[in-house]
Amino acid sequence: MSVGGGGGGAHAAIPHNNIIAFGLVGGLVGIYAAYFLVDMLGEYMSFLGALGAICGIVWGAAAVRRVANYGLGTGVPSIGMLALGMGVVAATFGLAVGGVAGPVIAVIFAAIIGLVIGVLANKVLKMGIPIMEQSMTEIAAAGTITIIGLSTSMVGTFLFDEVMTGVITTGHIAVIFIAGGLAILHPFNANLGADEKQDRTLACAFEKGGIAMIVAGIVATIMPLASGALTILVGLAVWYVGFSAFYKRVKRDAYMITGSGLLPSKEELE
Amino acid sequence: MIDIAGILTDNILNILLITLGGILISWSVHFVPVGGAPAAMAQATGIGTGTVQLAAGAGLTGLVTAAAMMNVTDSMLLVIASGAVGAMIMMSVTMIVGTWVYAYGVGCPPASAKAKYDPITKDRQDLYVSQGTEGHGLPTVCFVSGVIGAALGGIGGAMVYYYLLIIENGLAAPDIVGIASIFAVGIFFVNAVIPSYNIGGTIEGYHDPKFKKFPKAVFASFIATFLCAILGVLAIGGL
Repeated sequence: MSVGGGGGGAHAAIPHNNIIAFGLVGGLVGIYAAYFLVDMLGEYMSFLGALGAICGIVWGAAAVRRVANYGLGTGVPSIGMLALGMGVVAATFGLAVGGVAGPVIAVIFAAIIGLVIGVLANKVLKMGIPIMEQSMTEIAAAGTITIIGLSTSMVGTFLFDEVMTGVITTGHIAVIFIAGGLAILHPFNANLGADEKQDRTLACAFEKGGIAMIVAGIVATIMPLASGALTILVGLAVWYVGFSAFYKRVKRDAYMITGSGLLPSKEELE
Repeated sequence: MIDIAGILTDNILNILLITLGGILISWSVHFVPVGGAPAAMAQATGIGTGTVQLAAGAGLTGLVTAAAMMNVTDSMLLVIASGAVGAMIMMSVTMIVGTWVYAYGVGCPPASAKAKYDPITKDRQDLYVSQGTEGHGLPTVCFVSGVIGAALGGIGGAMVYYYLLIIENGLAAPDIVGIASIFAVGIFFVNAVIPSYNIGGTIEGYHDPKFKKFPKAVFASFIATFLCAILGVLAIGGL
């Protein structure tokens, strides 16, 4: 059953406010660092955008974990798709009107859309989740940072003309939509249950962020203003570290690990 | 800086029609027999996946067919009809193949647990519902309801796309298609998730008691889409 969640607040070893700061500050710093350093040092610095996106992904996954733990009444994937749906509207708007301030404007408008949908969910749809408003705001902002971060690392800048021709018109935005959306929704969806632990879920989010980064790097190899090689290498490193951390925590949380052997052959069954 | 008030007054009709499209998408989801994970195990009536996946599938197919029609003609009605037909075909194919799997693979008859008699065929339902399940497969009424839902969703999605595309702007043709479609996809996902929270994940179709809850989702979608439509019109109109 995909409803998930224990019907209450989630326990957290890392305070949620720290994760918000990590996602918001880390995400914006990564995006702006990529933008300025690509100009100053060269196109290979575009990988910083994807690191910013990973901060957003971890934040988004942590927010999904908190809100979905109450039980949404439907599958966890819905909230990840909602995050990217709100995010893509806000990101396109922010980058189109904002120029250099684009990412900040996008995050602000994403937060407004998220807040409105959170209020509607509680007041009109009567979902009755106390942290719905805050979580929706966070999820929308995290989705926006993810989209802008991955776009920046794909084309080397977040200025709208480049993003338009390099990411939106070519259709690479669809890749961002699914890779980013999966990275936000999958960690909690895969780990939910009575023994769900914050650090294991977030390790899974890091690992998914690494995959999104590798994908962004592959796209960047064909872009004139971005370089893909470093993005792919760093993405592989993030994936390896994330996967090792996740695997370590899976082994820690498992009651027992045992080999079941192969399926019995026909002769053995007779 | 862009002329916000000017763009909004020039495109007020587009904003309202995009919002109407969003409302149609939100309403359409209530018609689609969404069974979620229980239906995937043949323990509930409907298609065995979530609202968002179904709505996205039908909506994106509608978007593609609408865009294909847009290459040939500018007629709004043809574009919207094409979107509706694309979504209906996609949903029908999903449901008919799903029914084959339930009937010949799982081995259970289509049966609804929400109605004693199928409102369309008048066939008895409750006798065929396996114990411990909430129905299984896709009875006729669910199929018809799903096709109606897909048509409404396709019309809504095509409307959102069409009215974003005709906003006056300084973009080249491939760029405006790209940005209009990604905005339409974003608005589609928002409007697919809102009703899915309203119905709590599963619904059988218009004969399901949960269907009566649709005004709440429509109202929520109205506000959310209105906000998204303003942002979309400002972004595209300002370029």
